[in-house]
Amino acid sequence: MSLQTQPPVPFDPQIQPVVDFMATQPPMSRESIAASRGVTASPFPSAEELVKGLPITITERVIPGPEGAPDLEITVLSPSDLGADERLPALYNIHGGGMVVGHRSWESGRLVDLMTRHRVVCVNVEYRLAPEDPFPAGAEDVYAGFVWTHANAAELCVDASKIVVMGGSAGGGFSAAIALMARDRRGPIMAGQLLLCPMIDNTGSTVSAQQYRGLGTWTREANDLSWACVLGEELAFSEDAPAYAAPSRADDLSGLPPAFIEVGAAETFRDEDVEYASRIWAVGGQAELHVWDGGCHGFDMYAPDAIITQAALDSRDSWLRRIFA
Amino acid sequence: MSESRLAPCPYDPQLLDALGWFKSTFEPIPLLPHTIAENRAILAGITPCLAASLEGHDGVRSSERVAAGPRGEIALTVLEPADVSFTADLATHSAADPANRSSPAPANPATAAPAEARSAALREGDVAPGSGRAGVGQSPPRPAVLVIHGGGLVLGDRFFAAGEGIGLVERYGAVAVLVEYRLAPEFPGSAPVEDCYAALQWLAANAGELNVDPDRMVVSGFSAGGGLSAGVALMARDLGGPALAGQLLGCPMLDDRDESDSTRQYDGIGVWDRTNNRTAWDAVLGERPHRNVSRYAAPSRAADLSGLPPAFIDVGGAEVFRDEAVEYASRIWATGGSAELHVWDGGFHGFAGFAPQAQASLASAVATDSWWRRVLKLDGGKAA
Repeated sequence: MSLQTQPPVPFDPQIQPVVDFMATQPPMSRESIAASRGVTASPFPSAEELVKGLPITITERVIPGPEGAPDLEITVLSPSDLGADERLPALYNIHGGGMVVGHRSWESGRLVDLMTRHRVVCVNVEYRLAPEDPFPAGAEDVYAGFVWTHANAAELCVDASKIVVMGGSAGGGFSAAIALMARDRRGPIMAGQLLLCPMIDNTGSTVSAQQYRGLGTWTREANDLSWACVLGEELAFSEDAPAYAAPSRADDLSGLPPAFIEVGAAETFRDEDVEYASRIWAVGGQAELHVWDGGCHGFDMYAPDAIITQAALDSRDSWLRRIFA
Repeated sequence: MSESRLAPCPYDPQLLDALGWFKSTFEPIPLLPHTIAENRAILAGITPCLAASLEGHDGVRSSERVAAGPRGEIALTVLEPADVSFTADLATHSAADPANRSSPAPANPATAAPAEARSAALREGDVAPGSGRAGVGQSPPRPAVLVIHGGGLVLGDRFFAAGEGIGLVERYGAVAVLVEYRLAPEFPGSAPVEDCYAALQWLAANAGELNVDPDRMVVSGFSAGGGLSAGVALMARDLGGPALAGQLLGCPMLDDRDESDSTRQYDGIGVWDRTNNRTAWDAVLGERPHRNVSRYAAPSRAADLSGLPPAFIDVGGAEVFRDEAVEYASRIWATGGSAELHVWDGGFHGFAGFAPQAQASLASAVATDSWWRRVLKLDGGKAA
């Protein structure tokens, strides 16, 4: 039976219009990458727009990057009425975009929504993108930002023992990667890793990676291009790729912080994400897995009012309450 | 077992009290071939009678029916809205209210009745079929759910699932049918699932009289009831039976082979552990290695999972059935089928029904409610 002949899992009726629209857009190419970067290219509302009327303060900062590398830009979102002695849980967010496109500002909506549900500080980090800066630039950037956040928790009014790393897509992959890095380097302990449709397997060998060839909000082709940009042609789809680039390549998934893994049933990353959870369980680790029927890649951002989005947000909230308890 | 136990995933601390209560109440003795009868008596002793389950649920009425099955009569209890014009849009119950969630109701020993008293108590809840039905013809047709109880295919009766059925009536205006299927080892192999399938055929045949929408019939169950629900869905597909709008597989018992990591992790610990599960499957399928296993009896054995109704699969991360549930969902997706999967970190077998106030249980109730509203096409799918 040829994998290529497998029909895709259908999209939820409320998600289908998003996918139909996406089909009218030109596919991502090496040439188009540059146009999908930065604040100005954002298809989503800005943080300033989103916090209007909300008691949330936005602070832009520059912090040291990895040794010998450029500084990092971060955006800190805090409750406006934060008391100087207060110590809140924190979400350290790493944006998505295949490790090649996007900007942290695009995900302000996801963070502002979480801040309306939880009293937390959010640190939203920028990192270097491939192909100009291939692996390990991005991974080292976001690891450095996490270490800085942990070390400067008091100044941020953050409880250092309650920092959850999170991200969607590439940001989910980076979150999983820095959980591995923190474990292996005996770095700061994180309270949890919130992995939203994470991009973790470079091999493209799963059934779902075959089912969403040329289909959906993040196609097989876009994914292949991204891995080639990050890892170079030789390692792009190789089993020998480094685990900090593609966490599915890690031999050992024991000793990791509790994971929350959310993914759509109708997307490329479904099977790699289910496998990652299964491998964590197999070694006695903690993982929660939610696979939403008919969800496309990033359904929560593309279809914020869809029923499955609302239900997915409730599941995230529940897990965060358990982690922060 | 020959292999050593694998390190288990830890339990959610919020669930530990309920885990202890489950263990001491439902599983004071392990399930072994010679303790099946004793375990049946224990479960019967703590399963509330129907009248007790219906107490405080004035909007639900019950009637007793009989379906013809391959091995004789099958007792059914039909639960439905007492008000024939009731629709889900009028429901005011929140899914987060544990009293209304769709899972096995935690048996309250205070309202439990001894087995011999239950059939008598049952009559108090009876409503004669057809009574008070004026106006049915004018009311919109209702969704229906075949509710299949758990108990490892060897224990329990249909009233064990009464809480689930009542919740479905109250929240979605559904007609819920509880089925008394035959148990192993007296009725091994595919006898239990064939009874359940006969109940589905009865439901479809009586859809008109029950004012049931034939396009919104779902099969649902927890544990053995989840495995039987999967089996009924396979039978309906293969035998050209009634069309199902969905299958809810709660912590489902799907695979007799006992080869997963999760079965090796929960060997001698927790509830419904590896020993109980092996005993139950051996009661159904005989000594190992099981031979000529029907895919309807052990749905994981089915080679083809295409063409099935949308599945909702919910399981604990810390239980024997975790891996087989995940694999079943993955195999449905691989064929292009619809399935939703939720695996709750640190959840023991059936945690949501036994620790309804825990955070994970409340979230499971919300996710489950979301799926019901999508699959039954109710009020835009929003929670009431």
